[in-house]
Amino acid sequence: MTAPDLKPSFVYVTYIAAPAEKVWRALTDGDFTRQYFFGRRMKSDWKVGAAWALLMEDGRVDSGGKVLECEPPRRLAISWRVEWLEEYRKLPEAVVTFDIEPVGEVVRLTMTQLSAPIDEKFLEGGRQGWPVIMSGLKSLLETGKPLTMPAPQPPKAKD
Amino acid sequence: MTKPSFVYVTYIRTSPEKLWRALTDGSLTRQYWAGRHVESDWTVGAPVTFWFDGKMSDSGKVLECDPPRRLSYSFHVEFVEALRSEPPSRVAFEIEKLDAQVKLTVTHDEFEPGSQVFAAISGGWPVILSALKSLLETGRSIFPNSAAAHRAKAEA
Repeated sequence: MTAPDLKPSFVYVTYIAAPAEKVWRALTDGDFTRQYFFGRRMKSDWKVGAAWALLMEDGRVDSGGKVLECEPPRRLAISWRVEWLEEYRKLPEAVVTFDIEPVGEVVRLTMTQLSAPIDEKFLEGGRQGWPVIMSGLKSLLETGKPLTMPAPQPPKAKD
Repeated sequence: MTKPSFVYVTYIRTSPEKLWRALTDGSLTRQYWAGRHVESDWTVGAPVTFWFDGKMSDSGKVLECDPPRRLSYSFHVEFVEALRSEPPSRVAFEIEKLDAQVKLTVTHDEFEPGSQVFAAISGGWPVILSALKSLLETGRSIFPNSAAAHRAKAEA
Protein backbone atom coordinates (compact mmCIF):
# COMPACT_ATOMS: atom_id res chain seq x y z
CA MET A 1 0.00 0.00 0.00
CA THR A 2 2.87 2.37 0.69
CA ALA A 3 5.33 3.82 -1.76
CA PRO A 4 8.61 1.91 -1.69
CA ASP A 5 10.79 4.91 -0.84
CA LEU A 6 8.94 5.61 2.40
CA LYS A 7 10.92 4.75 5.54
CA PRO A 8 9.97 4.99 9.20
CA SER A 9 10.95 8.50 10.35
CA PHE A 10 9.29 8.30 13.75
CA VAL A 11 7.88 5.47 15.87
CA TYR A 12 6.14 5.86 19.22
CA VAL A 13 4.86 3.06 21.42
CA THR A 14 2.58 3.54 24.40
CA TYR A 15 0.52 1.18 26.55
CA ILE A 16 -2.97 2.30 27.50
CA ALA A 17 -5.37 0.83 30.05
CA ALA A 18 -8.43 0.95 27.78
CA PRO A 19 -10.22 -1.41 25.40
CA ALA A 20 -9.02 -1.41 21.78
CA GLU A 21 -12.43 -0.09 20.63
CA LYS A 22 -12.09 2.96 22.84
CA VAL A 23 -8.57 3.69 21.59
CA TRP A 24 -9.86 3.37 18.02
CA ARG A 25 -12.64 5.83 18.73
CA ALA A 26 -10.25 8.26 20.39
CA LEU A 27 -8.11 8.23 17.22
CA THR A 28 -10.93 8.59 14.71
CA ASP A 29 -13.65 10.68 16.39
CA GLY A 30 -13.22 14.45 16.20
CA ASP A 31 -14.90 15.02 19.58
CA PHE A 32 -12.11 12.93 21.12
CA THR A 33 -9.19 14.18 19.02
CA ARG A 34 -10.11 17.81 19.77
CA GLN A 35 -9.32 17.10 23.43
CA TYR A 36 -5.74 15.87 22.99
CA PHE A 37 -4.67 16.72 19.41
CA PHE A 38 -3.93 20.44 19.93
CA GLY A 39 -7.65 21.21 19.58
CA ARG A 40 -7.82 19.60 16.13
CA ARG A 41 -10.83 17.61 14.94
CA MET A 42 -10.25 14.47 12.90
CA LYS A 43 -12.87 14.07 10.20
CA SER A 44 -13.49 11.19 7.78
CA ASP A 45 -16.03 8.46 7.11
CA TRP A 46 -13.15 5.99 7.56
CA LYS A 47 -13.54 3.92 4.42
CA VAL A 48 -10.53 2.85 2.37
CA GLY A 49 -9.99 5.47 -0.33
CA ALA A 50 -12.00 8.14 1.52
CA ALA A 51 -10.49 11.51 2.34
CA TRP A 52 -9.67 12.50 5.92
CA ALA A 53 -8.85 15.89 7.37
CA LEU A 54 -7.56 17.25 10.63
CA LEU A 55 -9.37 20.55 11.22
CA MET A 56 -8.15 23.45 13.32
CA GLU A 57 -10.53 25.24 15.68
CA ASP A 58 -11.09 28.00 13.12
CA GLY A 59 -11.97 25.45 10.43
CA ARG A 60 -8.67 25.57 8.52
CA VAL A 61 -7.18 22.26 7.47
CA ASP A 62 -4.09 21.31 9.49
CA SER A 63 -3.39 18.12 7.54
CA GLY A 64 -5.23 15.75 5.26
CA GLY A 65 -4.96 12.74 3.00
CA LYS A 66 -6.60 9.46 2.15
CA VAL A 67 -7.51 6.40 4.17
CA LEU A 68 -5.20 3.58 3.02
CA GLU A 69 -6.11 0.82 5.47
CA CYS A 70 -8.96 0.72 7.96
CA GLU A 71 -9.47 -2.32 10.17
CA PRO A 72 -11.27 -1.22 13.33
CA PRO A 73 -10.18 -1.60 16.07
CA ARG A 74 -6.74 -2.91 15.03
CA ARG A 75 -5.06 -0.90 12.30
CA LEU A 76 -5.40 2.43 10.56
CA ALA A 77 -3.10 3.70 7.80
CA ILE A 78 -3.52 7.13 6.24
CA SER A 79 -1.55 9.19 3.77
CA TRP A 80 -0.59 12.50 5.35
CA ARG A 81 0.06 15.93 3.90
CA VAL A 82 0.56 18.96 6.10
CA GLU A 83 -1.62 21.73 4.65
CA TRP A 84 -1.48 24.58 7.16
CA LEU A 85 2.17 25.45 6.60
CA GLU A 86 3.07 26.71 3.12
CA GLU A 87 6.48 25.09 2.84
CA TYR A 88 5.21 21.67 4.00
CA ARG A 89 2.45 21.59 1.40
CA LYS A 90 4.85 20.77 -1.42
CA LEU A 91 6.53 17.86 0.37
CA PRO A 92 5.87 14.27 -0.71
CA GLU A 93 3.03 12.70 1.28
CA ALA A 94 3.92 10.77 4.39
CA VAL A 95 2.03 7.73 5.67
CA VAL A 96 0.97 7.43 9.30
CA THR A 97 -0.11 4.10 10.75
CA PHE A 98 -1.69 3.23 14.09
CA ASP A 99 -1.61 -0.35 15.35
CA ILE A 100 -3.67 -1.33 18.38
CA GLU A 101 -2.84 -4.68 19.96
CA PRO A 102 -4.34 -6.08 23.16
CA VAL A 103 -1.63 -7.13 25.65
CA GLY A 104 -3.22 -8.69 28.72
CA GLU A 105 -5.48 -6.08 30.29
CA VAL A 106 -4.11 -3.15 28.29
CA VAL A 107 -3.41 -2.28 24.67
CA ARG A 108 -0.19 -1.42 22.95
CA LEU A 109 -0.60 1.52 20.58
CA THR A 110 2.18 1.89 18.01
CA MET A 111 2.20 4.96 15.80
CA THR A 112 4.59 5.04 12.90
CA GLN A 113 5.33 7.84 10.49
CA LEU A 114 6.77 6.78 7.13
CA SER A 115 8.42 9.54 5.15
CA ALA A 116 10.11 10.00 1.81
CA PRO A 117 13.75 11.13 1.97
CA ILE A 118 13.26 14.82 2.84
CA ASP A 119 15.22 17.45 4.74
CA GLU A 120 15.36 16.41 8.42
CA LYS A 121 14.07 19.85 9.47
CA PHE A 122 10.62 18.92 8.13
CA LEU A 123 10.52 15.89 10.44
CA GLU A 124 11.29 17.82 13.62
CA GLY A 125 7.72 19.09 14.15
CA GLY A 126 6.32 15.57 14.12
CA ARG A 127 9.04 14.24 16.41
CA GLN A 128 8.25 16.99 18.91
CA GLY A 129 4.48 16.80 18.50
CA TRP A 130 3.66 13.09 18.47
CA PRO A 131 4.85 12.41 22.06
CA VAL A 132 2.61 15.29 23.25
CA ILE A 133 -0.36 13.89 21.30
CA MET A 134 0.18 10.28 22.37
CA SER A 135 0.71 11.29 26.03
CA GLY A 136 -2.51 13.34 25.92
CA LEU A 137 -4.45 10.48 24.36
CA LYS A 138 -3.31 8.10 27.10
CA SER A 139 -4.18 10.59 29.85
CA LEU A 140 -7.62 11.25 28.35
CA LEU A 141 -8.48 7.56 28.13
CA GLU A 142 -7.13 6.63 31.57
CA THR A 143 -8.18 9.64 33.61
CA GLY A 144 -10.98 11.26 31.56
CA LYS A 145 -8.93 14.46 31.49
CA PRO A 146 -6.62 15.66 28.72
CA LEU A 147 -3.27 17.31 29.38
CA THR A 148 -3.05 21.10 29.11
CA MET A 149 -0.34 21.49 26.51
CA PRO A 150 -0.11 24.58 24.32
CA ALA A 151 -0.70 24.05 20.59
CA PRO A 152 2.33 24.38 18.32
CA GLN A 153 2.85 27.74 16.64
CA PRO A 154 3.81 28.05 12.99
CA PRO A 155 7.52 28.70 12.53
CA LYS A 156 8.38 32.42 12.46
CA ALA A 157 8.26 33.88 8.95
CA LYS A 158 11.69 34.81 7.61
CA ASP A 159 11.27 38.02 5.66
CA MET B 1 28.65 1.60 12.53
CA THR B 2 27.11 4.27 14.73
CA LYS B 3 26.49 3.63 18.39
CA PRO B 4 22.76 3.09 18.95
CA SER B 5 20.85 5.32 21.36
CA PHE B 6 17.26 5.27 22.55
CA VAL B 7 15.21 8.39 23.32
CA TYR B 8 11.65 8.45 24.65
CA VAL B 9 9.62 11.50 25.60
CA THR B 10 6.44 11.37 27.68
CA TYR B 11 4.32 14.07 29.29
CA ILE B 12 2.91 13.29 32.72
CA ARG B 13 0.40 15.24 34.80
CA THR B 14 2.43 15.44 38.01
CA SER B 15 5.08 17.63 39.64
CA PRO B 16 8.84 17.33 39.04
CA GLU B 17 9.25 16.35 42.72
CA LYS B 18 6.74 13.50 42.53
CA LEU B 19 8.28 12.24 39.31
CA TRP B 20 11.75 12.38 40.88
CA ARG B 21 10.51 10.31 43.80
CA ALA B 22 8.91 7.79 41.47
CA LEU B 23 12.26 7.34 39.70
CA THR B 24 14.37 7.01 42.83
CA ASP B 25 12.20 5.30 45.49
CA GLY B 26 12.25 1.52 45.28
CA SER B 27 8.80 1.10 46.83
CA LEU B 28 7.48 3.11 43.87
CA THR B 29 9.67 1.66 41.08
CA ARG B 30 8.49 -1.84 41.92
CA GLN B 31 4.94 -0.74 41.06
CA TYR B 32 5.73 0.18 37.45
CA TRP B 33 9.26 -1.04 36.61
CA ALA B 34 8.47 -4.70 35.90
CA GLY B 35 8.66 -5.40 39.65
CA ARG B 36 12.14 -3.87 40.07
CA HIS B 37 13.03 -2.23 43.35
CA VAL B 38 15.76 0.39 42.88
CA GLU B 39 18.24 1.12 45.67
CA SER B 40 20.79 3.91 45.90
CA ASP B 41 21.65 6.84 48.15
CA TRP B 42 21.61 9.00 44.98
CA THR B 43 24.90 10.79 45.35
CA VAL B 44 27.35 11.00 42.45
CA GLY B 45 29.51 7.90 42.40
CA ALA B 46 27.18 5.87 44.62
CA PRO B 47 26.08 2.40 43.45
CA VAL B 48 22.61 1.89 41.95
CA THR B 49 21.09 -1.55 42.33
CA PHE B 50 17.88 -2.95 40.87
CA TRP B 51 16.39 -5.86 42.80
CA PHE B 52 13.87 -8.35 41.49
CA ASP B 53 12.61 -11.21 43.65
CA GLY B 54 15.59 -10.82 45.98
CA LYS B 55 18.11 -11.03 43.11
CA MET B 56 20.14 -8.24 41.57
CA SER B 57 18.71 -7.60 38.10
CA ASP B 58 20.78 -4.59 37.04
CA SER B 59 23.51 -2.42 38.54
CA GLY B 60 25.29 0.86 37.94
CA LYS B 61 26.73 4.04 39.44
CA VAL B 62 25.20 7.49 39.78
CA LEU B 63 26.76 9.81 37.21
CA GLU B 64 24.65 12.95 37.70
CA CYS B 65 22.10 13.80 40.36
CA ASP B 66 20.35 17.18 40.28
CA PRO B 67 16.93 16.73 41.89
CA PRO B 68 14.29 17.22 40.57
CA ARG B 69 15.75 17.97 37.15
CA ARG B 70 18.36 15.51 35.97
CA LEU B 71 19.50 12.04 36.94
CA SER B 72 21.86 9.71 35.13
CA TYR B 73 23.54 6.45 35.97
CA SER B 74 25.49 3.73 34.28
CA PHE B 75 23.48 0.58 33.62
CA HIS B 76 24.74 -2.98 33.55
CA VAL B 77 22.43 -5.96 33.14
CA GLU B 78 23.16 -8.65 35.76
CA PHE B 79 20.04 -10.78 35.56
CA VAL B 80 20.15 -12.11 32.00
CA GLU B 81 23.13 -14.37 31.34
CA ALA B 82 23.36 -13.50 27.62
CA LEU B 83 23.50 -9.76 28.33
CA ARG B 84 25.87 -9.74 31.30
CA SER B 85 29.02 -9.69 29.18
CA GLU B 86 28.16 -6.32 27.61
CA PRO B 87 29.82 -3.23 29.06
CA PRO B 88 27.61 -0.77 30.98
CA SER B 89 25.43 1.66 29.03
CA ARG B 90 24.07 4.98 30.33
CA VAL B 91 20.55 6.04 31.36
CA ALA B 92 19.62 9.72 31.72
CA PHE B 93 16.36 11.29 32.90
CA GLU B 94 15.60 14.93 32.13
CA ILE B 95 12.59 16.50 33.87
CA GLU B 96 11.05 19.82 32.76
CA LYS B 97 7.95 21.43 34.23
CA LEU B 98 5.45 22.53 31.58
CA ASP B 99 2.25 24.10 32.86
CA ALA B 100 0.38 21.41 34.84
CA GLN B 101 2.56 18.56 33.60
CA VAL B 102 6.15 17.53 33.27
CA LYS B 103 8.09 16.52 30.20
CA LEU B 104 10.23 13.47 30.89
CA THR B 105 12.96 12.66 28.40
CA VAL B 106 14.70 9.32 28.85
CA THR B 107 17.92 8.82 26.91
CA HIS B 108 19.60 5.44 27.05
CA ASP B 109 22.90 5.43 25.15
CA GLU B 110 26.58 4.46 25.17
CA PHE B 111 25.86 1.05 23.71
CA GLU B 112 28.33 -0.87 21.62
CA PRO B 113 27.30 -1.35 17.97
CA GLY B 114 25.07 -4.44 17.69
CA SER B 115 24.23 -4.40 21.41
CA GLN B 116 21.63 -6.94 22.50
CA VAL B 117 20.91 -4.86 25.59
CA PHE B 118 19.89 -2.04 23.25
CA ALA B 119 17.35 -4.31 21.54
CA ALA B 120 15.97 -5.38 24.94
CA ILE B 121 15.63 -1.88 26.38
CA SER B 122 14.03 -0.49 23.20
CA GLY B 123 11.02 -2.72 23.85
CA GLY B 124 11.22 -2.32 27.62
CA TRP B 125 11.21 1.46 28.10
CA PRO B 126 7.78 2.08 26.51
CA VAL B 127 6.33 -0.53 28.91
CA ILE B 128 8.02 0.98 31.98
CA LEU B 129 7.32 4.61 31.08
CA SER B 130 3.69 3.95 30.16
CA ALA B 131 3.21 2.27 33.53
CA LEU B 132 5.02 5.14 35.31
CA LYS B 133 2.71 7.71 33.69
CA SER B 134 -0.38 5.71 34.64
CA LEU B 135 0.80 5.25 38.22
CA LEU B 136 1.42 8.97 38.70
CA GLU B 137 -1.83 10.05 37.00
CA THR B 138 -4.25 7.41 38.28
CA GLY B 139 -2.51 5.89 41.31
CA ARG B 140 -2.95 2.49 39.72
CA SER B 141 -0.51 0.11 38.12
CA ILE B 142 -1.56 -0.82 34.55
CA PHE B 143 0.41 -4.06 34.74
CA PRO B 144 -1.01 -5.69 37.89
CA ASN B 145 1.98 -7.97 38.28
CA SER B 146 5.47 -8.14 36.89
CA ALA B 147 4.54 -11.18 34.78
CA ALA B 148 2.12 -8.99 32.81
CA ALA B 149 4.84 -6.41 32.23
CA HIS B 150 7.26 -9.10 31.13
CA ARG B 151 4.68 -10.45 28.72
CA ALA B 152 4.15 -6.99 27.26
CA LYS B 153 7.88 -6.55 26.88
CA ALA B 154 8.39 -9.99 25.38
CA GLU B 155 5.69 -9.34 22.77
CA ALA B 156 7.03 -5.88 21.92
